[in-house]
Amino acid sequence: MADVSLKGEQRVFMTGNEVVAWAAVAAKVDIMYGYPITPQNEIMHYWTRLAPKYGKKFLQTEDEISAGFTMLGGVMTGRKAFTATAGPGNVLMQESAGMAEMMRLPAVFVIQQRGGPSTATVIYAQQETTLTAFGGNGEGHRLVYSTATHQELFDYTIKAFNSAWTYRFPTFVLGDGYQAKMRESLTIYEPEAKGVKLVQQQALVGENKPGKKFRHLRNTYNTEDELYEVVMANQREWDVMAKKVVEWSAEGCEDAEVVMVTHGVVSRAALSAYQQLRAKGKKAGFFRPITVRPFPDQQLADAVKGAKKVLVAESAYGQLLKMVKEALYGKNVELVPMLRPGIGITTEELIEEYNKL
Amino acid sequence: MADVIKIVLAGEGGQGVQSIAEILAEAANEEGKSALYIPNFGVEQRGGVSIAYVQISDGHIGAPKFQKADILIPLSARAVKRTKQHAGKETVYIYDNSLVQEAEVNDNIVGLQYFDVTPPCPVSNTPNDDLPQDLISGEPKTCSFTKSGPGIDPADIPADVARVIPIPANDIAKDELHPRVFNIIILGAVIAATKVLPMESIKTALEVKLGEKFKSNPKLREMNFTALDRGYQLIKNAVRRG
Repeated sequence: MADVSLKGEQRVFMTGNEVVAWAAVAAKVDIMYGYPITPQNEIMHYWTRLAPKYGKKFLQTEDEISAGFTMLGGVMTGRKAFTATAGPGNVLMQESAGMAEMMRLPAVFVIQQRGGPSTATVIYAQQETTLTAFGGNGEGHRLVYSTATHQELFDYTIKAFNSAWTYRFPTFVLGDGYQAKMRESLTIYEPEAKGVKLVQQQALVGENKPGKKFRHLRNTYNTEDELYEVVMANQREWDVMAKKVVEWSAEGCEDAEVVMVTHGVVSRAALSAYQQLRAKGKKAGFFRPITVRPFPDQQLADAVKGAKKVLVAESAYGQLLKMVKEALYGKNVELVPMLRPGIGITTEELIEEYNKL
Repeated sequence: MADVIKIVLAGEGGQGVQSIAEILAEAANEEGKSALYIPNFGVEQRGGVSIAYVQISDGHIGAPKFQKADILIPLSARAVKRTKQHAGKETVYIYDNSLVQEAEVNDNIVGLQYFDVTPPCPVSNTPNDDLPQDLISGEPKTCSFTKSGPGIDPADIPADVARVIPIPANDIAKDELHPRVFNIIILGAVIAATKVLPMESIKTALEVKLGEKFKSNPKLREMNFTALDRGYQLIKNAVRRG
């Protein structure tokens, strides 16, 4: 791995998995809990190489269920902790993600999506979008950042820890196999030297000082009404958070006839397609949710106000499309899906699809 | 909107395609350009083709993969077939016309899988035995393709491309230099064909990557730089001849 440091700013060229490990160091994370699965293995590998140098810890567990729950244990005792997984590992981790929703634990999950269902491919997909946003037997009280570039992978991994420890909802960085394995340029930095304040972690259970009340977090409720009150309180707090954390990016939507909606790595292709189409005088627009949960509903509705068509492109069969439909319910605009489960979408293919409209 | 140079390199596992793609992209990054390199990876069996996608630009780089390459370099008969979809009207097509045997996939290694970016060497179970061990230490994935054979069939080369340049890189490596530097000849050829990076930047990148080995074996540096220049001249001469 590249021998770099976080002193000041450094332009580096590395894989996305390496970026995540460096970002966790930059965010002053205490410990990673993990279980190997392609294509996220190198996050663990790089972390285990960095950990001794920076006084950090690592625990490899027997599976993803355990990796998720041991992370929750670490978080409860006041350790800034994270885990990383993909595909079927993401499925297994939903149990612990659900507990983090119920107990309001600032757990951070990095997901490098691979093909599904089940083992499928180790390569790439966007088929874990619904799972990551709504997995678990709850209401999706979580925060999901969908990154597109290595710079974002670095920035949003740091942000994920800050958001998690600020709002106490489980927070996900949603990457994919392409982002995991590709190398590109980015600038890494020490967050606090750049004015990005790191939110301080603290113990969430126990309290041994005299006169202090013993803190306990509940995961089980006795009556329907009791649960209802708790879930509704969480919902209200999630709604308040949603307004503050929702992020999106929009280009040229004001006069666009067709707005392309994509997320994650596919939005790289969409941004290039947008630039090339505009250069040819076409009235194209670009809209991308950066948080897929909460989804920028209102912002999307505003962006497509004047558009005739919305082209939704994703490497899944309608997972982003479902979110777009919900955001645009009742709006008079035609949705044109470009659904490619488990396969990449190139700039050329998007332009070709656009030109068919 | 800046231009993006798109390069596809493809070869047999062990030919060193991924190493040179990485050196190329790193050198571009060092030059202050945007660079993106992605290998194809998966659960392929031995004998699989290794493909590297590299993009270099002064501005935004779109999707990590692309349809048509500006420069397409398949280095084995299998790689020619595997990369057909990347050949377009504006593609400069460089291939190795050495008469070498395509790697055989022995029955005993079929089904062995790899979980990395480079498929294992398909030639034998002890791929490096024929190479001087001091030159390849720490490079278990290197293997040489030195057995004579029919090579790439020119009839398989896509007809509708901007230009086809055959270069006998494997023969030169085998007969004049060393099988180990085959991929460095190809790297030199890529530099000449892309024209976006100065030769010096590649030499610096090689120093960074192989500096330790160069220090303990200066002959290795000389051989690598000779290979780089040979590859560069092969393309320059071909272009000059028109």
